[in-house]
Amino acid sequence: MITAIGKKKNKEQGKNEFNQEMKSVSLAADAWRRLKKNRMAYIGFWVTVIYLAVGLFAPVLPLHPYAQQNTDHAYLKPSLRSAGIVELETRKAYFAKVMAKEGRTAYNQDEQAQIDSILKRNKTDPQQQRHYILGTDSLGRDMLSRTIYGGRISMMIGLVGTVTALLIGIIVGAIAGYAGGAADTILMRFVDIMYGLPYMLIVIIMMAILGRNVAILFVAIALVSWLTIARVVRGQVMSLKNTEFILAARSMGADPWHIVVHHLIPNTLGIIIAYAALSLPEFIMSESFLSFLGLGVSAPLASWGSLISDGVQGMQLYPWCLLVPGIIMTVFLFAMNFLGDGVRDAFDPQSKNRV
Amino acid sequence: MTDEIILQVKDLRTYFYLDAGVVKAVDGISFDLHKGETLGIVGESGSGKSVTNLSIINLIQTPPGRITGGQVLFHGEDILKMNSNRLREIRGNRIAMIFQDPMSSLNPYLKISTQMMEAIQLHQGLNKKDAKAKAVEMLKLAGIPGAEKRVDYYPHQFSGGMRQRVMIAMGLSCNPDILIADEPTSALDVTIQAQILELMQDLTRRLGTAVIMITHSLGVVAGICDTINVMYAGRIVERGTTDDIFYDTKHPYTQGLIKSVPRLDRDTGERLFSIEGQPPNVIDLPDCCPFYPRCHRAMEICRQKYPPVAQFINGHCTSCWLYSPKDAGTFNLKDEKK
Amino acid sequence: MGKFIVKRLLELIPTMFVIVTLSFFMIRLAPGGPFSSERKVSPEIMANLQHKYHMDEPLGMQYLRYLGDMLHGDLGPSFKNKDFTVNQLIGASMPNSLILGVTALAIAVLFGISFGLLSAVCQNTWVDYTTMSAASIGLSVPLFVVGPVAVLVFALRLRWLPTSGWINGRQGWKTIIMPAMTLALPYFSSIARLTRASVLETLRSDYIRTARAKGLKNSVVMVKHVLRGALLPVVSYLGPAFAGIVTGSVVIEQIFLVPGIGNFFVKSALNRDYTLILGTVVVYSAILVVMNLIVDVLYGILDPRISYE
Repeated sequence: MITAIGKKKNKEQGKNEFNQEMKSVSLAADAWRRLKKNRMAYIGFWVTVIYLAVGLFAPVLPLHPYAQQNTDHAYLKPSLRSAGIVELETRKAYFAKVMAKEGRTAYNQDEQAQIDSILKRNKTDPQQQRHYILGTDSLGRDMLSRTIYGGRISMMIGLVGTVTALLIGIIVGAIAGYAGGAADTILMRFVDIMYGLPYMLIVIIMMAILGRNVAILFVAIALVSWLTIARVVRGQVMSLKNTEFILAARSMGADPWHIVVHHLIPNTLGIIIAYAALSLPEFIMSESFLSFLGLGVSAPLASWGSLISDGVQGMQLYPWCLLVPGIIMTVFLFAMNFLGDGVRDAFDPQSKNRV
Repeated sequence: MTDEIILQVKDLRTYFYLDAGVVKAVDGISFDLHKGETLGIVGESGSGKSVTNLSIINLIQTPPGRITGGQVLFHGEDILKMNSNRLREIRGNRIAMIFQDPMSSLNPYLKISTQMMEAIQLHQGLNKKDAKAKAVEMLKLAGIPGAEKRVDYYPHQFSGGMRQRVMIAMGLSCNPDILIADEPTSALDVTIQAQILELMQDLTRRLGTAVIMITHSLGVVAGICDTINVMYAGRIVERGTTDDIFYDTKHPYTQGLIKSVPRLDRDTGERLFSIEGQPPNVIDLPDCCPFYPRCHRAMEICRQKYPPVAQFINGHCTSCWLYSPKDAGTFNLKDEKK
Repeated sequence: MGKFIVKRLLELIPTMFVIVTLSFFMIRLAPGGPFSSERKVSPEIMANLQHKYHMDEPLGMQYLRYLGDMLHGDLGPSFKNKDFTVNQLIGASMPNSLILGVTALAIAVLFGISFGLLSAVCQNTWVDYTTMSAASIGLSVPLFVVGPVAVLVFALRLRWLPTSGWINGRQGWKTIIMPAMTLALPYFSSIARLTRASVLETLRSDYIRTARAKGLKNSVVMVKHVLRGALLPVVSYLGPAFAGIVTGSVVIEQIFLVPGIGNFFVKSALNRDYTLILGTVVVYSAILVVMNLIVDVLYGILDPRISYE
């Protein structure tokens, strides 16, 4: 079902011939209503909003500096108690194991010295009063803030990448679809060839060779991601091109630019939005994938992928280093996927009513 | 057409429960069908014609639709109460249905022979060789040249008119009592239309099959139907023999329909007539005559209550307050100026 | 049909050409070379090394020389693993990767289609909801999270499966379970969802309505009519799915220490082992292109409307 969407949508209440109230609904309001009904998508929407908000406001949140290392605090368990106490207990637990192996019950001189030094620092060093709610990593950096800042990077890469891919894809797709003929053939041959390339491999090569630059990361991923959106937009434009309301607009003398902007784009908007919602998590996955392999962002910047990669190292003894970023990232992707599905269903008037 | 009644539809109601409200697609229709009779159901889009047909063989998509009331008696047995085994014995076998768009109604991935033989083997118990022979025979009957070879083709290898012939052949292959045809010619060129209609008339007369034909074209209906049901907004507003409907029209809607057909014997300078207004939005329709906003003879009561059925001779009947003044009760019969 | 296959194989050539050329020049034009990260060697030795590997010739010459060798089936010596040629290295590890990949694909397809079909038939029941939720999770969790977590849970804590190794070792076929299933997970999810959506949509088709109107049994309708059409999008998806599995295997091989080509790949890129990288890319691309061809042919067989005459 395609509606000829004009300039502004008026929400007039009128009465029909049977004296019943008529409600006119704009496309956006209709889509929102359908989205709200989709329980999981609605939850996904709010989860995504929360994540985005936290990422956006990270600098003003009361977090420990994400890059600050403190070797004394390495590999502390997640805890609600202050760092000093946790450090003490960890050390004592370690000593207990050693003592059990060696069959003694008292601390030796060296161990006692270490315990005393910790106690002393607990009284004097303000850093010992910190609370590492989600634990620390191998260099004593706070997992909570690293994960939040890592999320910032990951989400940002996802957003910018998606927007870039969308822009390129829409322009190319719209031109190919509307102009048809030679332009279409050339552009689509290009897309076909690029589609045939094992893109991830090429991206890996690019990242490995050209260095670990965030900009190159964008370029590499965006370079191949615009292909699908271009195809989708082209398909939609081509099928819209010959519909009757476009013909009507043309017969009224509208110029191609006007048609593209005021008719084609609004009718493609639904698909574009749905696609954007679904490609954002894909972007983040790609970036994380590369970071995991060591080809993404470099220290001190962290992204979810690199955090997980670090976490795998100490996985057996310090599982939180893997699980914290892993779970947080998974929840985000989960939410976004549901949201994306919901958006796609909400904008697709052809999906039959399920009662 | 004989006097034996093979199908009785009594007060059939089929509603669709959508997000936006309840659509009463079919809201209380009743009619009879005799052996060998050709019944035409006429109406605008959205009047409930197709839903009626699907309801007869209980093929409504549930959800969102549901047959909420009424009976469909086939040789005395209520189809709506049959269990699924019995229902499947009837479908394709005693009551066959063909659809409007033969391209989408035939499985594009299977050969025609496979699709035709399915029904034949299922209902007539023939082995593969005999079933295929029967299929070829039906195709020949339907006027498809080179049937022996063509039977192994895929649907996309036929032209539009041919495909519809295939569908007709498929529908009649088990010699059903009733053939339900949902706008069989709407997707075809006018010249092909005439051929197809002729074919249908010829075959059904030969085999003694009753036909329920849905169409929005009065021309088609005048040509081949014995009886006509005129539907509007889910109800039958007028019903009668073809002659009665055309020459003794009662309901204002039917009158409007007939007047709308351009005629060759009038002055060319005359303006074409069309019924003013739009078909109603059938979501949550109130209890009134649905035609009243467009009716030039509407009265106060038309706005408030649905009219009862007024009977005339020969089975001709209509639902219109103009013919049931006695049943108006305390309602006002004053003319309403539009 | 034969002509079509030949035509497609011929189209393979320009694609491969683009890939090889792109990779070659990208790698060569980047700063750093295969010898730059090693200990400083004297200029004479450096010059000898360069000469031996033809790196003192102009780039164009090197390119043509490489193409020539490649057409003879020789992918050159490995710069880093100096005792082996690229052919040997790839030959030893590629079969392992292929086994892993094909197993993963088989798991994804078999389970994906079954669960998708089941969900569609039991739409909106608990079966449907659980399967689709599991599929959503499968799509959302990255491979490199599932992998380590699986190792953590199944190998380290529960000790049901080995952490690493391969089928020709002591643990035999058990070693392939986790890597293959982990790799298959996102594709299983996609295929399940795709199958479900496709079956549901096919069920609403007019021709299914016709089939029911003919009085056919529900099971017959499902198997004979619905499945044929509904599986087409899944077949189309096999191409990208396999490509994804190839990509994912790079990570999986690292995590589960599978002796496949993926392991070499990243390292060789970082080490600038030109010939190995190029060789890997060439072989991978060839496999992908052939796979896409197979998928297209399969699609053509299933859909009679596509004519390859």
